[in-house]
Amino acid sequence: MFDDTLKIVIRKFAGKMISLLPLVFAVITLTISALSLPVNGGSGTVTTNADADIPSSAQLTISPSSINFRNANPGAVLTIPANENPVSVTANAQIGEQSLATLTVLAIGDLISGSDGIPIENVTWTATGSGFVPGTMNKNSPVSAGSWQGPGEHIGTFSFFMGNSWSYSTGNYSQTVTYTLTAP
Amino acid sequence: MRFKIIILVLLALSLTFVGANSALAVDATANVTLSATVTSIAELTLSTATVSFPNANPGTVPNVSATENGATITAHVRTGSSTPASLSVLAADDLTSGSDVIPMTAVSSTTTNTSGTFFTTGAIPWSKTAPVTLGGGASGSYTGTVNWTLANSWSYATGNYTAAATYTLTAP
Repeated sequence: MFDDTLKIVIRKFAGKMISLLPLVFAVITLTISALSLPVNGGSGTVTTNADADIPSSAQLTISPSSINFRNANPGAVLTIPANENPVSVTANAQIGEQSLATLTVLAIGDLISGSDGIPIENVTWTATGSGFVPGTMNKNSPVSAGSWQGPGEHIGTFSFFMGNSWSYSTGNYSQTVTYTLTAP
Repeated sequence: MRFKIIILVLLALSLTFVGANSALAVDATANVTLSATVTSIAELTLSTATVSFPNANPGTVPNVSATENGATITAHVRTGSSTPASLSVLAADDLTSGSDVIPMTAVSSTTTNTSGTFFTTGAIPWSKTAPVTLGGGASGSYTGTVNWTLANSWSYATGNYTAAATYTLTAP
């Protein structure tokens, strides 16, 4: 008798729980949707409720992405400006009002042509635009290129320069540097 | 009860994921390629364009020093790491005075390195038949001091002798 009563209670409870499953799945689906908000690149519109939990996001654009330094006589040109100067930079950071978005740059290595190298520290840049800062390339640790408090779109320019020297061996040198915009 | 536990666990996991996502920083990156072209170039400077040997008694002055000794030579050069630059001198002819001749091999130069190591040290006789190498090396900026000497001889006929010589700095 007691067992029969217990079985009935369990069936009723199980029925209620099963009816809640759609709600559970809905919660999970919403959570996954929130996690998949775009972080890098692309364009699009994300519409959310005013009280939605929006995660941080960041978007960085540097154009053009190929910077070239021409050949020049070191006796006449001590510093070679890049052909593409000024280079456009756009940093979008969706962060909290008190959070600090940072932009850093790290070179993979020196400028390389076969076995010859030009120290990457010979490449410097100047900056325009609020929050963007000038600096010197480094292959060992990231160098600050800008920072901003709170969310926003930040537009500026970088102008790149390479110190010229008689000591360089002839060749076609290249190297990749990586800019990283961090939205905490 | 079992279903209630499952629901609570799922809700807890969902909230955990949301919380974790909110705490993590997100990065956006952009790669930029830097390229530079460096080609060969050479610049040579000698502080004097004339070298004069005064008259001297061969019995007491076997080697006559040029009046311009101590001249400065500067070589700026950019070349390939496997193709060193070279400095040479070639006389157009012997020293001549009318029909009289002093062989160019009687003239020699000595260069000392004062900045960098590029110039060959020691006395090097000149030639009118083939360039004489005076130094060489990698890309860089080099400075040296040059002294010229004329081997004196009783056999020289009197006269005012002249000849032209050309210094050439080559960056392959």
